[in-house]
Amino acid sequence: MQRTTLAILSVVCLMVLGVVMTTKGQEPEDDQAPKIYNPYPPGILPPDINSELQRVLREVDFIEAKTIAQWKASKPPTLTGQPPTLQGTGYQAVETLGKLMNYDKNMSPERNSACASCHMPYAGFSGPIPSVNLTMIAYPGTLRFRAGKRTAQRYTYSPRYPVLQLYPDQGLLFGGNFWDGRSTGYLLQSADAEQAQHPPVDTQEMGFPDTACIAFRLSQAVYRPLFEEVWGKGSFDIKFPPNTAEICATPGGAAVFGTSATPVKLSPVDRTRANSIYNHWAQSVSFFEDGPQVSPFTSKVDANIQGLPGSAYSPNELAGAILFAGKANCNSCHLDGQRTTLTPGQTQTGTFATNARPLFTCFGFSNLGLPLNPRDAFFYQTKPDPFGFTPNPLGFSYRDLGLGTFLRSGFGSAPNPNDTWKQLAPRMDGRQQVSTVRNVAMAPPQCPTTEAPGAVVNGTNVGYFQKEFFHNGYIKSLKQLVHFYNTRDVKKFAFPVTSGHCPKGTTEKVDCWPMPEVKNNIDMTIGNLGLTDQEEDQIVIIMQDLTDGFDPAHPGVSTYPDIGTFTGKCMQGGSAKTQGNDFLIMTPPLPPCASAVCGVSPFPTMPIP
Amino acid sequence: MNRTFVKLAITVMAGGLLYSIPAATQVSPTTKRAAHVRITKGPEMERIDPDFAIIRWTSNNPGGSPEHYGVVHYGTNPKDLSQTAKSPIRLNPGHPDTVFRVRMEDLKPGTTYYYKVNSMEANGKDDGVKSMVKRFTTEPSGKDDVANSTAKPVTNR
Repeated sequence: MQRTTLAILSVVCLMVLGVVMTTKGQEPEDDQAPKIYNPYPPGILPPDINSELQRVLREVDFIEAKTIAQWKASKPPTLTGQPPTLQGTGYQAVETLGKLMNYDKNMSPERNSACASCHMPYAGFSGPIPSVNLTMIAYPGTLRFRAGKRTAQRYTYSPRYPVLQLYPDQGLLFGGNFWDGRSTGYLLQSADAEQAQHPPVDTQEMGFPDTACIAFRLSQAVYRPLFEEVWGKGSFDIKFPPNTAEICATPGGAAVFGTSATPVKLSPVDRTRANSIYNHWAQSVSFFEDGPQVSPFTSKVDANIQGLPGSAYSPNELAGAILFAGKANCNSCHLDGQRTTLTPGQTQTGTFATNARPLFTCFGFSNLGLPLNPRDAFFYQTKPDPFGFTPNPLGFSYRDLGLGTFLRSGFGSAPNPNDTWKQLAPRMDGRQQVSTVRNVAMAPPQCPTTEAPGAVVNGTNVGYFQKEFFHNGYIKSLKQLVHFYNTRDVKKFAFPVTSGHCPKGTTEKVDCWPMPEVKNNIDMTIGNLGLTDQEEDQIVIIMQDLTDGFDPAHPGVSTYPDIGTFTGKCMQGGSAKTQGNDFLIMTPPLPPCASAVCGVSPFPTMPIP
Repeated sequence: MNRTFVKLAITVMAGGLLYSIPAATQVSPTTKRAAHVRITKGPEMERIDPDFAIIRWTSNNPGGSPEHYGVVHYGTNPKDLSQTAKSPIRLNPGHPDTVFRVRMEDLKPGTTYYYKVNSMEANGKDDGVKSMVKRFTTEPSGKDDVANSTAKPVTNR
């Protein structure tokens, strides 16, 4: 009874907090915010970066507080049986634990970056700050403003990617997590769980200097009892040295640590325990991401597959579905479930699967030939920060070879745990992971579209939510995305220039595509599809139908968990075709690709300029 | 009209019973190989620049791995096609045929090239298709040369 009262009081408090958050989100810029590391020329950091980071942090705290209240109000599971099982509410316990970890900002040296800081539900668990998506591409980490090099990938359905494996009969690698596949899943047998182990110790993300810092901070967490309930009472029986708090408050890469990856000095036994906690951290977070709060299969396409009333396609949706599998050939990589094999002369007329949950990815890797994006914050981090760390000493001589660099254990990636794959690197240069199409269009309810000029609700244009697409965020709308697939190679659109240098009389991303960053291994399935403008729009519509949270009874109201958390501002005006073009900058003259990237054996099949 | 649609629907459904693609498989499904793999259209030039070209052709389904390579053997002497260009494409098991497109980089302007094409699986296994030797001439240099353009960034919305 007392527990229930407490839970009710907690919810009331959270509602009040929510009102306060909404109000605060509309306040003007905070000019007093600290500026710690800013190697960027004017215009790379968005002007509202501080207030937006604070806004997201408030949203993260809100969900964390709500989840703590839910945990405290929940019925604990019973450990029983052989092997011991958390009977009853075991699923709920692990999922809640993963969620609490995901939204815990204490899992960073400055206590200012949770996993969710770059992955919020209203963006399909991708980047939550429209101005960052528009400008610097990669998100600031715990040390403001170190930043990574790529866009924040969506969590949704990432646990469904298998362990990275070579299929010798097919000569291809499938699976893994991250754009470059560097989270293989070889040890935990889950690519997604291992993915959750990278950002906490990524120097430009959450930034701990040692994985043991996760164990240390978890030992202080409010939800430690839940961790012990799930993973065992003795989990935190670790003797941390007295300087652990100081070490864990210092960002990774700091000169004071030298080259040590384990500055927290633990006995071998305690190190093993800390590693075990880190594995359990990863598995818990992954279970949350795999569950119905993140990956629920509740899109309109899913409803249509199930034949639910109210989920019939409009003529444009149906046309989009048919194009997806037919003329546009999207489903050669974004697999859409069961279909018939046509004979010559037949055309696809059906929609999607009838009895399956297609994932709209092939788990493979492709080089789509995207231009280098000079807005990527990574290129500018060439000077040491206050801790003596330089994120990218290569500057603009860095090239993103994606999977190829990972297979070489190269600069900016991670060690490759399978040497026999290294020989494949030249064939994999430039390839990035094929994302699922699911939730690519997810946006907050206030501005429920990614496309300028915005959504019209009850006769009023409520604006749009700016996202960024592909690994380097070069594309700013789904219309542009489909147009790129459609026209990349069309002679009158393709120019031998870099971004920002399209010839006079042309418009970048409309009738001018700059040259690819990496010419090797460009996927030629796409690039000249012959789609009309209307057909491009129809494909965008069916992509939007892959957004989870569709309720056939109330099509305008999303049921996606926590989607209502957004307290920022929608954008207005413009056109999806040229969305973001106001923020194009001229690519500087590019120095040759650095030997640390392109000069690592086995060498690329053709020189990368 | 309705009768035609019903006929088509029955054909599609019957086809589905005979062969379907497992959904949500861990890797791309393999594609059923045509009884006799052959080029059904092309090869032809999709695009010719001074230093770049795209050659495309269509074949019936070569089967095997989900990724294939279109391969172009070329040279300036029709008896010496010793240079090679290849590009990956993805097969679509639901399509009756496959379009191959290959990028040819670093060509010489105003030069006649001879070429023939074939294709192979990503594991290197040849699809067994062959083409006749054909030719094309790259555009002279200077045309469309905007590499040194000083145009301002595009700012129109």
